[in-house]
Amino acid sequence: GAALPQEALANPSAVSANVFQWTVSGRVTSAAGDPLPGVTVLLKGTTNGAATDADGAFSLSVPESPGTLVFSYVGFSTVERSFSGPETLNVTLSEDSEALEEVVVVGYGTQRRADVTGAIATVDSRAIEERPIARVDQALVGQMAGVRVQQTSGVPGRGFSIQVRGTGSINASNEPLYVIDGFPLDVATQNSGGGFSTGNPLDNINPNDIESIQVLKDASAAAIYGSRGANGVVIITTKSGRAGKPKITFNTYMGWSETAKKLDVLSGEEWIERATEVINYNWVTSGEGRTAEQTTAERTAINGSFNQNLMLDERWLQPGYPGLTLIDWQDELFRKGFMQNYQVAASGGNEFLNYYVSGDYLDQDGVAIGIGYKRYSARANVEVKASDKLKIGVNINPSYSIASDPGVEGRDNQMHVATSHTPVSEDTVGIDVNTGNNRNYQWGFSRNSPVRVIEQSIGDTEIFRTLATVYGEYSILDDLTFRSTINLDHSDASTKSYRPAAVSGVLGNRQAFGNFSGYRRQTFVNENTLSYNRMFADNHNVSLLAGASYNYGSFNNFQIRSAEGFGSDDITTLNAANNINVGQTYTAESRNTMLSYFGRVQYSFMDRYLLGVTVRRDGSSRFGDDTKWGTFPSASLGWRISEEAFMSGVDFVSDMKLRGSWGISGNNGIGNYSHIALLGFSNYTFGGNLATGQVPNNFPNPDLGWEESETYNIGLDLGLFQNRVFTSFDYYTKTNTNLLLNIPVPTATGFSTALTNIGEVYNRGWEFEIATHNLTGAFRWDTNINLSHNENEVRQLGPNNTPIQGGDFDPPHNILMVGEPMNVIYVVRRNGILTQEDIDSGAALYGNQTAGDVRYFDANNDGVITADDRVMMGDRNPDYTWGITNSFSFKGFDLRVLVQGQQGGQIYSLFGRATDRTSMGWVENTLGVHRDRWRSPEDPGDGSRGKATGRFGFIKNSDWIYSSDYWRVRNITLGYDLGRLMAGNKFVQGARIYASAENWFGGDKYEGGYNPEAVNSGGDDYGAFPLAKSMTFGLNLTF
Amino acid sequence: CEKELDQAPLSDASAANFYRDAADFEQAVNGIYAQLRPYPDRHFNLSEVRSDNMYATTEIGVREHEPINNFVNTLETNSLVISAWNENFNGIMRANTVLDRLNASVVPDDAQRNRFEGEARFLRALYYFDLVRLYGKVPVYDASVSPAEALEVPRSPVAEVYSLIVSDLNTAIEMLPPSHGAVNRGRATSWAAKSLLALVHLTRSAPTYGIEGPGLDVNEYAEALTLLNDVINNGPYAWVEDYSSIFDYNNENNPDIVFDIQFLSGGLGTGGTYPGTMAPNSYFNAVGIPFPAGLETKPLSSDLIETFAPEDERLGVAVQQGFTDEFGNSDPRPFFRKFLDEDDYGLDRFDWGINFPIIRYTDVLMMKAEAILQGAPGTQEEVDEIINMARVRAGLEPVSGVTLDMYLEERRREFAGEGHRWHDLVRTGQVIEEMNEWLPTEDTRNVMPETLDPNYIIYPIPFSQLQVKEGLYEQNPGY
Repeated sequence: GAALPQEALANPSAVSANVFQWTVSGRVTSAAGDPLPGVTVLLKGTTNGAATDADGAFSLSVPESPGTLVFSYVGFSTVERSFSGPETLNVTLSEDSEALEEVVVVGYGTQRRADVTGAIATVDSRAIEERPIARVDQALVGQMAGVRVQQTSGVPGRGFSIQVRGTGSINASNEPLYVIDGFPLDVATQNSGGGFSTGNPLDNINPNDIESIQVLKDASAAAIYGSRGANGVVIITTKSGRAGKPKITFNTYMGWSETAKKLDVLSGEEWIERATEVINYNWVTSGEGRTAEQTTAERTAINGSFNQNLMLDERWLQPGYPGLTLIDWQDELFRKGFMQNYQVAASGGNEFLNYYVSGDYLDQDGVAIGIGYKRYSARANVEVKASDKLKIGVNINPSYSIASDPGVEGRDNQMHVATSHTPVSEDTVGIDVNTGNNRNYQWGFSRNSPVRVIEQSIGDTEIFRTLATVYGEYSILDDLTFRSTINLDHSDASTKSYRPAAVSGVLGNRQAFGNFSGYRRQTFVNENTLSYNRMFADNHNVSLLAGASYNYGSFNNFQIRSAEGFGSDDITTLNAANNINVGQTYTAESRNTMLSYFGRVQYSFMDRYLLGVTVRRDGSSRFGDDTKWGTFPSASLGWRISEEAFMSGVDFVSDMKLRGSWGISGNNGIGNYSHIALLGFSNYTFGGNLATGQVPNNFPNPDLGWEESETYNIGLDLGLFQNRVFTSFDYYTKTNTNLLLNIPVPTATGFSTALTNIGEVYNRGWEFEIATHNLTGAFRWDTNINLSHNENEVRQLGPNNTPIQGGDFDPPHNILMVGEPMNVIYVVRRNGILTQEDIDSGAALYGNQTAGDVRYFDANNDGVITADDRVMMGDRNPDYTWGITNSFSFKGFDLRVLVQGQQGGQIYSLFGRATDRTSMGWVENTLGVHRDRWRSPEDPGDGSRGKATGRFGFIKNSDWIYSSDYWRVRNITLGYDLGRLMAGNKFVQGARIYASAENWFGGDKYEGGYNPEAVNSGGDDYGAFPLAKSMTFGLNLTF
Repeated sequence: CEKELDQAPLSDASAANFYRDAADFEQAVNGIYAQLRPYPDRHFNLSEVRSDNMYATTEIGVREHEPINNFVNTLETNSLVISAWNENFNGIMRANTVLDRLNASVVPDDAQRNRFEGEARFLRALYYFDLVRLYGKVPVYDASVSPAEALEVPRSPVAEVYSLIVSDLNTAIEMLPPSHGAVNRGRATSWAAKSLLALVHLTRSAPTYGIEGPGLDVNEYAEALTLLNDVINNGPYAWVEDYSSIFDYNNENNPDIVFDIQFLSGGLGTGGTYPGTMAPNSYFNAVGIPFPAGLETKPLSSDLIETFAPEDERLGVAVQQGFTDEFGNSDPRPFFRKFLDEDDYGLDRFDWGINFPIIRYTDVLMMKAEAILQGAPGTQEEVDEIINMARVRAGLEPVSGVTLDMYLEERRREFAGEGHRWHDLVRTGQVIEEMNEWLPTEDTRNVMPETLDPNYIIYPIPFSQLQVKEGLYEQNPGY
């Protein structure tokens, strides 16, 4: 839709100057036949106009000469109709989200879509509005080419990980900068577990308040954000009021969710079969004359004492396992969770004021017991026109959330325990194993019942956050505007954890545990800009921007931890703790500051030749004394070929633009003090007294600077057949240099790494988006497809380009190597199962392997298997990510289907390493793949898993590599517009009901974990929580 | 406004504002000691488990100590082997930082400055001695280095590593005071430095076994004896008559302690894990210690149990001979309990508060006997007298005509669980013979080799260190 020429309509004097004799009237409707109120009708070339009424009708007086009326409406393509007398014009407007007149929010201003020369992706606002989503990042999944949104955790309320055009940084942040209503928020720092335990910029933001989201992908668009632009910039605009009578909307939905996935683990029967095999083997090999046929009583007599590692639970041998019960722990853990959301919003405005206010409540139970998320939020966006020249506004957004998670996700946490817990228990105890007065099952895992732990423990994270912006805008001259903003983002978060004695430790030694921790994060930003827009000589459009910014961030955190249990299980606060764990109790503070100056020139000639130049200069406290300041330039060119005379005959091309850009942006996403030689406490004790010790913690680097990212982008936008088909293609290269790289140094120096600006990573890829209006009549069908491809390559590493290896546990299983993609999975390759013939003929062995153990590939051919036999076996980065949205509407029904997925990447499952260990013991449960393990030379299984009785230990190997390919019907929403049934109702203006199914269908190849997008242990999965599939029913009402 | 860009850390000290006065150096020196805390666990795993004292195989899955017990050739990625390397070198870096920064302008008081330098050198020597015993050749740094410089320093021959150790200890002997006041008890003294230097001489004198290990076959037994006699005749130590009281939680810093690692419980981050490491979880469950121990039982060898006479008091102090678990089942397998006091546990499994002896007066006396047995001037009577002091204290009959074998066996009983056994076998030249005799008799599960490859006297250097720069280090033969 067009920018509304509000001034023209508001200025009656412009109208009265003419004499009108003809009246042109008519009615404007949508393609579906609905009346469109508020459409601007303008006599072309004049300021004479009108707006349609509630029935879509208009009437306009015009001078007595033929002319053209222009019909424009936000979200619809503009239509021109000519008249040659007093006529009735009935006009149908079709929705067109790609309309070229659409305004795109860019850094420090807006631009017409037609003038954009950089690579900017936009989320269709309907993707947010008409669907029940709990977080803003959820709305971005599958929507934009080149923007990979990973839902790394299915725990409600958790932040998503967003990567724009691949990952360019090895050690610094790869998360984009978020800008909400012009306020650049603190860049999210993912912890090594892949989560955002110290806050995510989108925490508590209510998606219902969002008007639009744009992602600046290339440096020409993002360089205006300088040292924070290298990972892309996500620009979020919240709703604001429009002139007119108050509009009140009420949105609600409710429904349920359940886990989208269960892991295949051994059943109780299968666990017993495996345990029997191992215990019998242990017994038979523990001495002379010992056979599997001997009973437990006989074995006890021979052995001299009972030992469950050598003796069976004899009930295993009896039909029906009398006295025992079999448990599917995942069924006990997962549940159907209820969710509900209510939002009321009011918006409107007049010539002095416009406003948007809203209140929202969300309550979402997780798909496992104990997990839940509640959010209360409010927003007020108010703008006052104090005079013709001065506007003052305030946006304020207080919010409060409670995320309940008593430690379900991740290493050794309750979902891991539930997956691994012995599926057999005494029938008098059932799932109460090792809680209260019960011991663990004697042959079973010693961990406390995960179900009871979750039920009785507390893990509540409360975040109270206020985002506030106050701004003033003053028109110094007609074309020159000064704007000043003051922004504060204040978050107070606290996490209370409590685990009562009854579900801790072992019988006789149960101690409660409590922990209270939290943080206060503040970001203060003051920005002052001067902007100048002017059209010269009809053809030269110039827009200038200059600005300065001050950015201050502070982060304080604390922790208090109990010791020696609690005096009472009834009191869960730390005053009841028997003692405080001094070593784990602290407060800490850190600060960072940034000063910036920036400017931009945009120039277009004849609406056809477009030029943009930006520069930003940033000074940051995070860098060394000699490298505090950096400069980030960019330039871009656009050519709207379709405006050229030679294209006038090519009717099927409605728009064609060629874009090219270059720019340098930076990445400062490292800690606040990384360049300084920090000391750490390392205390000792003499004569029973604490003696404070301080020791060096890192190599200092006074020359530390930011990473530099240089991007070239070339793109083509093409609209065909009156923009029935709109397509966009971009090709880019992104070279990140001076990486903030932890280069490995000999640990003989006392440290294992040194943070250095060295190294280079190259990304290149292409992005393709196409939007088509397949059917436009009463039955409408639109399709949006985005597809992106990215490949990355490490081009330079430390001083000698020595490969860098990493990953939790030894040996390292990630390798960074010049010429290869980042973080290739580097492990020993499994190669079938060892037979006795293999061993007799000198097959390479790992340690003391025997027949029936897995066989590994001797890559260096030296006759033994060692860590030197690791080979590169997988790339974590998917080759292709894609999303397809189809939307249909017919007679008030609307249907949207979003399918998205990724192809060509791998995931390494440290969760698999924990639950599917090579020659794993029998106590813990293991994955279903062990059903087909090697049992004997005659019964060798399917060759994927060795014998249960192996004793050789294990090495990082290919067993835990899985394809991360998946496809997922992320959302199906079916709605019906009740407004048609209520026509004429003065009270309710609009109503829509819908049903929505999220994640209901899909497929992945990840058998070693719950979520193929998981990243929670140094780039790998260590037990990420599964996604939810949900069914919700919603209602939207407008009054 | 520009000044805003200079943000100093608020919750950590920065080196730029440190190392300015004696109080700072006191803290910097304390930090060198702090890296001693992993030592007891290290030598439990790399010395006791490795030796004929333990047959630490498991029944319920492979744990990190088991490949060490089993002489598997995959140890270059074993976390216990890796952390031993990293921790010792981190301690050396801490010492080097102090030595680099210490001078008369920041610590003008001579006595104080000498003490700091002596402590730093003593500890650097101790860390290097640990490295040379575990890995043989290691890179030698006598000052802190930059990342770039470190890439140019290869492993030095063992003799060069010893040169630094000996020169550091000689300096430490000069600079360290003979004792410290009560609040500083546990700091290195000149006596500790002399005792450690004696042990260095004995270790250096061991046979080479044809590898580049800790033995250089140099015959410095006389040098060792001189130092030991000095400690015995002039030092402040005394014979403690009650063996068990040496390890009593309420009798720390007793006259038998020449140098120990000091631990303090109370959740201060200064506790130890080793009393738990040596015991199984099920034992802690059974006796009511509310946190985990060392997972499953790491059983002692029957050979170790059999070396104790039934009346030997030291057996009960060092060894828990089975127990009844929480299900009422008896687990007969013995494990070390020397440093365990079931009634005096800390806040969690990292918080045991008992000090761990590195050099005991008993050890000083015994080393004297060893030096004499290896050829240093002295008499059989002197040897017998020392051995009999230990025997009588343990409730055994005295013996005469003590041989090196008898001496070694007495040491084994006296120091069981203190992390000495592997080093004792290597130092006295007995390791191949002793292990080859023991391996076939103990290994009922057939998980260990039948004979000991001399290459396995020392450990491989961590795999990751071979990867930092190709060709900088070479792996030890056999791995």
